[in-house]
Order: sequence, then C-alpha cells, then structure tokens
Amino acid sequence: MISTTASSFSRIASKRIIGSTSSNHTATLLAERIKYFKVYRWDPEIENQKPYLSTYPVDLNDCGPMVLDALIKIKNEQDPGLTFRRSCREGICGSCAMNIQGSNTLACLAYIDDDTSKATKIYPLPHMYVLKDLVPDMGNFYEQYRSIEPWLQAEGSERAEPGADGNTKLQGEFLQTKQDRAKLDGMYECILCACCSTSCPSYWWNADKYLGPAVLMQAYRWIEDSRDTATTARLENLNDAFKLYRCHTIMNCTKVCPKHLNPGKAIAQIKKRMTALH
Amino acid sequence: MMSLKTAISPKLQPFLQRAIQNHGGLVRPMTVISKSSAEEYKKQNYTERMNRTGRPVSPHVQIYSMPIGALSSITTRVTGILLSFGALGVGGIDLIGGSGSALSVMEAIGDTSFFISGPAKLAVAFPIVYHSFGGLRHFVWDQFPDKFLDNDMVPKASQALFGSATVISLGLMFA
Repeated sequence: MISTTASSFSRIASKRIIGSTSSNHTATLLAERIKYFKVYRWDPEIENQKPYLSTYPVDLNDCGPMVLDALIKIKNEQDPGLTFRRSCREGICGSCAMNIQGSNTLACLAYIDDDTSKATKIYPLPHMYVLKDLVPDMGNFYEQYRSIEPWLQAEGSERAEPGADGNTKLQGEFLQTKQDRAKLDGMYECILCACCSTSCPSYWWNADKYLGPAVLMQAYRWIEDSRDTATTARLENLNDAFKLYRCHTIMNCTKVCPKHLNPGKAIAQIKKRMTALH
Repeated sequence: MMSLKTAISPKLQPFLQRAIQNHGGLVRPMTVISKSSAEEYKKQNYTERMNRTGRPVSPHVQIYSMPIGALSSITTRVTGILLSFGALGVGGIDLIGGSGSALSVMEAIGDTSFFISGPAKLAVAFPIVYHSFGGLRHFVWDQFPDKFLDNDMVPKASQALFGSATVISLGLMFA
C-alpha cells in the first residue's frame, strides 16, 4: 500500500505545475497536453541513409509557447542529436529559419499550434542542400549576397577625395533628407534569414543563377540609397536573363517574411528602373 | 593537406577521400568568404559541386503549403502551356486538312449533344479567359507595384482572377 504524504505529493506535482492557486499555496496538477512534432532528420555520418521523420511527444504545459522552445526541450530531454541553428530566440538574428507546417518562418517567432490532435511538421528551408537535420547549407545564399556588393559606393560623390595611396577616400558626412532616408525603410531591416528566397519556386529551380528575393531586395536597398553613386552599375549588374528576371511575381516571398518586409514589391520596382534605364 | 586528414575523425575519412578525388586532388572549405572565393564561385557551379557531396536536397513541393497567390501563378503558367498545345493543334489540323478544316472540326464538336460540346467549350474557354486575365494582372502589377503588391491585395486579386475566369468561362460554355 503506497501512501503519499502531502510533502511528497507536492514534490511530484511541482514538476508539472504551470498554474497554482496562490491564495492557500496548494499546488494544482495539470493534465498533460501532449503535442507531437514530426521533424526532418538526416545524418551525414551514416552511410546510405535516406532522410526520415522523427516523431517527438512534448507536454505543452511544460514548454514555452514557441516552436523553438519545443525543439530545445526535445534536444534537452529526448534526443541530444537533434541539430538546428538558433541564437537570439527573439526573431532578429535569423538563425532558426525553417519550414514549419508548410510555411517558412523563424522557429522562435512561430507559436505552437495548441491543437494536440494534429502533429506539427518541421522541415528545413525548402530546396536547400542539407548539412544535418534542420541545418541547410547557406553558402550559395551568402555568395549571392556578396555578389551585389552590399556596401556604400560613393566614389562619384562630392565626399570622395583621392587618397595618399591612390585609392579614393570618402571624407565628411553624407547629408540625407528624411524623405531619402525613408526610402530605405522596409529594406534595411532584412535579417538575411532566407525565408523568402527559399519559399520562391523560381529560386528552387534556378538557385545557381537567380539571385532570389532577399538578395534582390538588398540590391534595391543600395540602388535606392541617395548617398550611393554606383546606381547605374548596380542596375547593369542585374541585366541578364537570370539574376533578376526569373522573378515571375509569385509573391511567396512577401507572404512569408518574418519581419513583414516586401521583397516582391522591391523586385517589381527594380524591373521598372531597368526599363527606365534601357 | 596531411594536417587536414589527421584532423578529421576516422569515421569521416572515407568522405574526405571521396571529396578529394572528386575535386581532382584539391579540397577547400565550403564557405570561405574572401576575394579568391568570389572568383572560384564564378568558375564552379554550386549545384554540381553540392551534388558531388551526396547531400540530400530538402523537400519543397512535397511539403510546402502554397498560398493562393502561388496557385494562381502556376495556373497562369499551365493554361499558357495548354494554349500552346491548342494553337499547335489548330495550326496542325489546318496544315494537314487545308484551310478552314480546324474551324469545321470545332463546328462539328459544337453540334454534338451538350454533354460533349459543353465540356469541350469549357476546356477551350477557360485557358483563354484565365490566361488573358492573368496577363492583365501581371501588367497591373508591373505598372503599379506600390498599390497592388502586398499581402492584402495579392490574395484578393488571386480570388478575383479565379472567380471571374470561372464565371465567364461557364457563361461561354452555355452561350
């Protein structure tokens, strides 16, 4: 016969407590709410392995509200081998970008769907080469970003002076009106999480040569910057069949941006600039 | 090169051997961002390089939940392909059967009972109407991106496109 004293009962119950009636300090035991997570897995160290889905049960009463909380809890308590990128946990670093329930988001900003009758499916960003589990190779994405030269080029401005070593130096302040600065709003906030580019079917089929919405919006960010004088060169750099013009206005990018930016519109505006230029 | 080999765990050495063979003896880390890596990027094709590693590509169409904007976009493309085949068919029939034979084929189909002529008319009308309206939508998007390219207007435009094309096609089917 097992008897449970009051103190041992509260010790067992304390592990499961989220709510407690504070007036008389008795702990309430909440029933478990088990939610199943189906997560894409692949291990490069195991030969001839095909990717598969692992199913993990998580008690939502004992877990934070975001999908990233669930992933960390699974990694801590059930499967330390589950591999994913994460850093800031507040939607600003872009590390935890992945495909949750069919849509690309940041795991730290995606609320867990409370409906425990349905499993939540978690996949890596679509059509990316997988390094392990939920970690995609971002090399191509970063090289494409580098290829648009995402820095201020003002050698043609009044601020430019020939320096001692033969290179042009930029001296003094760049004055910019509030209206000109406002043109950058909605573009400079991009965290390069790649949710948009990897949601674009055109980028899926042409990742080598099409730059993708994230990189194109950053190209436009520098084209629109009133301090930058390399505008024509930047536009000419996009002037081939693939870099810009694989965009067919599918608009998956804007739908999916976790920072609520609009790369699709930016690309349409680049296209208008291109026609004006030629 | 020797230090790289000994630094890798014994389990991973076969992968390293294969990587070295595939690259003709030279191995570089994947994401080195430097002046020379930009030149190498231009020389090597990313997809070919990654395919040699044997890594899987993450699932895309199989798992992605396509919003209505994307569905309307792919429908525009599909109707365009159907129209291409249709135009080819009409041209082919006229080439083989002489001028006007495609028209007489269509009239013959139109004279049959409604169970046959109806769906046939719908199958011709819907691609023409949908693809034309889709094209108009693209023109509006290209000219007025500020007003129409956002998360509110795009789904509305997609619903309007599906709805209007269906209604008009059904109208043409019964006409």
